[in-house]
Amino acid sequence: MSGKTKTEIAICALVCLAILVVPVFLDDAFLLNKYARYLVLGMLAIALSLSWGYAGILNLGQATTFGLGSYCMAMALKLKTIPVHTGPDGLPDFMVWNNVPELPWFWKPFYSMSFGVAAGIVVPVLFAALLGWFMFRGRVTGVYAAIITLAAMVVVQLVIIDQQAYTGGFNGITDLAQFDVAGFAFDAYGSASYYLVAICLTASLFIALAVTKSKAGLIVQAIRDQEDRVRFFGYDVAFYKMFIFAVSGAIAGLAGMLYTIVMEFASPTFMGVPLSLAVVIWVAVGGRQSLVGAMVGALVVAGMQGALSESETFLDSWTLVMGLLFVLVVLFLPKGIAGALEAIGGRFERKRLATTEQPERKDVESNPRHLESLS
Amino acid sequence: MDILVSQLMTGLSIASILMLVALGLAIIYGVTGVINLAHGEFVMLGAYAAWALQTQFGMGLIASLLPIFIIMAAVGWLVEVLVISRLYDRLLDTILATWGIGVIAQQAVRLAVGGELRYVQMPESLSKSVTILGATDSAYRLFILFVSLALFGLTWGIYRYTNFGLKLRAITQNRSVASSCGINAGRIYRLTFAYGAGIAGLAGALVSPLKSVSPEMGTGYVVDAFMVVVLGGTQSLMGTLASSGILGELSGYLAFYSNDTIAKALVLLAIVVLIRFRPQGLFTARVRT
Repeated sequence: MSGKTKTEIAICALVCLAILVVPVFLDDAFLLNKYARYLVLGMLAIALSLSWGYAGILNLGQATTFGLGSYCMAMALKLKTIPVHTGPDGLPDFMVWNNVPELPWFWKPFYSMSFGVAAGIVVPVLFAALLGWFMFRGRVTGVYAAIITLAAMVVVQLVIIDQQAYTGGFNGITDLAQFDVAGFAFDAYGSASYYLVAICLTASLFIALAVTKSKAGLIVQAIRDQEDRVRFFGYDVAFYKMFIFAVSGAIAGLAGMLYTIVMEFASPTFMGVPLSLAVVIWVAVGGRQSLVGAMVGALVVAGMQGALSESETFLDSWTLVMGLLFVLVVLFLPKGIAGALEAIGGRFERKRLATTEQPERKDVESNPRHLESLS
Repeated sequence: MDILVSQLMTGLSIASILMLVALGLAIIYGVTGVINLAHGEFVMLGAYAAWALQTQFGMGLIASLLPIFIIMAAVGWLVEVLVISRLYDRLLDTILATWGIGVIAQQAVRLAVGGELRYVQMPESLSKSVTILGATDSAYRLFILFVSLALFGLTWGIYRYTNFGLKLRAITQNRSVASSCGINAGRIYRLTFAYGAGIAGLAGALVSPLKSVSPEMGTGYVVDAFMVVVLGGTQSLMGTLASSGILGELSGYLAFYSNDTIAKALVLLAIVVLIRFRPQGLFTARVRT
């Protein structure tokens, strides 16, 4: 394990620890719920960082997998509501309003909570893998991949809005039961939900980190830098891209499920263009080639937006400042804040090495750095 | 017969608006490779300019078209100089930067004149309806169809027969060879961007009497316009004309047989499949390489 990896793990661990101790000092149900929401968005940023920062696939439809996960969880929770909220024979209320006589077949398995949770991961993964197969087998790259992911997301969203009788249409799925495991209920405003989100975030972060450090992760990064070269080596480029796309979809799906738990509803806006583009901003500002950077970027930007949205005048000018900040980051910090910090850190390191003057050690160290600057 | 003609006219009307918006985008994308997500906001700014000229200075819509073109071309020129010109070596990032510009433009308008809907008066002489082959259609929609075709013809003429167009085509085919022949690529790019933005402004001004003007109005247009550009291919203006015709008629008919939402979803799906199998678009210019 190289020194750089160790530092990375240490930083991730510290950030996660800081996130986990928040409820100890904070005893405000409303704030906890709000922070839990930001953490979920942080997970979404990790998912995008994997595909965009590490594989070079700008996924403008990252919210699709997020929304799919969210709907799976909402369907399972909807069927758990006490009969007061649902129609006769346990039919969800919006189906009654739309004159649906009985529960459609694809809703039935969601009576089982474990099926719902499994579907919340499997459906997004299947979607991502299928879309990945469709794109990458045809060697679609760059701008075209971005347009396809965006268009695919709009299609899914339009279908969900159109099939009102089965999906709740524009309103989404509301009036949900609380998520519970073996009789223990997760109140959206309680610290238990916060811990659930924080633990899932920590797990996702370290799984994503492990993936990027694995052999497959290295190949994916090589593909990002020089796709043809990797192909000439005999690697199946499309397969590795599909793999990273699916992992990213799984994390986004999990995040979507948690979002439903925290927000207590699912809505077509969860897979909308505005959310998808917002994630891109967070990741770009935080640093797309750093998982923890992207995550912190999401927490800070979304958090600031949330804090300022309480006063109307601030929110208006804040959006303006956001746009400006974003353009400046794209122009001058293409690797985001994390990338800039890393560059500063690297400069210090080099200075330190120069002053210690150990020629043979310097040689060894300068080689990997040289490779790094190529990436 | 009536229904057929009126369907055809609905489709043509959608197509002409699509082409107005897509034309500027196609020029910018085709020549510079920049994905201009702020294009919808250029359209929106054009619509607001029409509204402002009408309410503040009492100018009629047709009289204000030329000033709007000049204003928006200046805006486009400024955007190119300040932001886009720094990003030609990393084109994927232009998606992000132009989106940020779009956010700024939307918010600036909201702060300056408020977020409520605005209405632009239709020119008096065009507010009647006319009858063609038994189907009635509003004169203004026909006017838009006419203007969009005229603008297309103008653009095509510039592209094909002027010195500027020649340089443009040279750069599109091979930038480095064109530059070494003494063509100032940076200047051509700036002018292209300004021209594209100007046309977007005209599109906004022309659609403003048909739809209400709001800061968010551009977002819907940019996605549709992109689909036109992708379908038509980036290297031929004729492709843009044909593909906006196809998409307009297609969404018109699909909306007639099912509903708007499903029509939109089906059109998008068709485009996704098309990009996968024919990323160069349906219509490509033959270029010797």
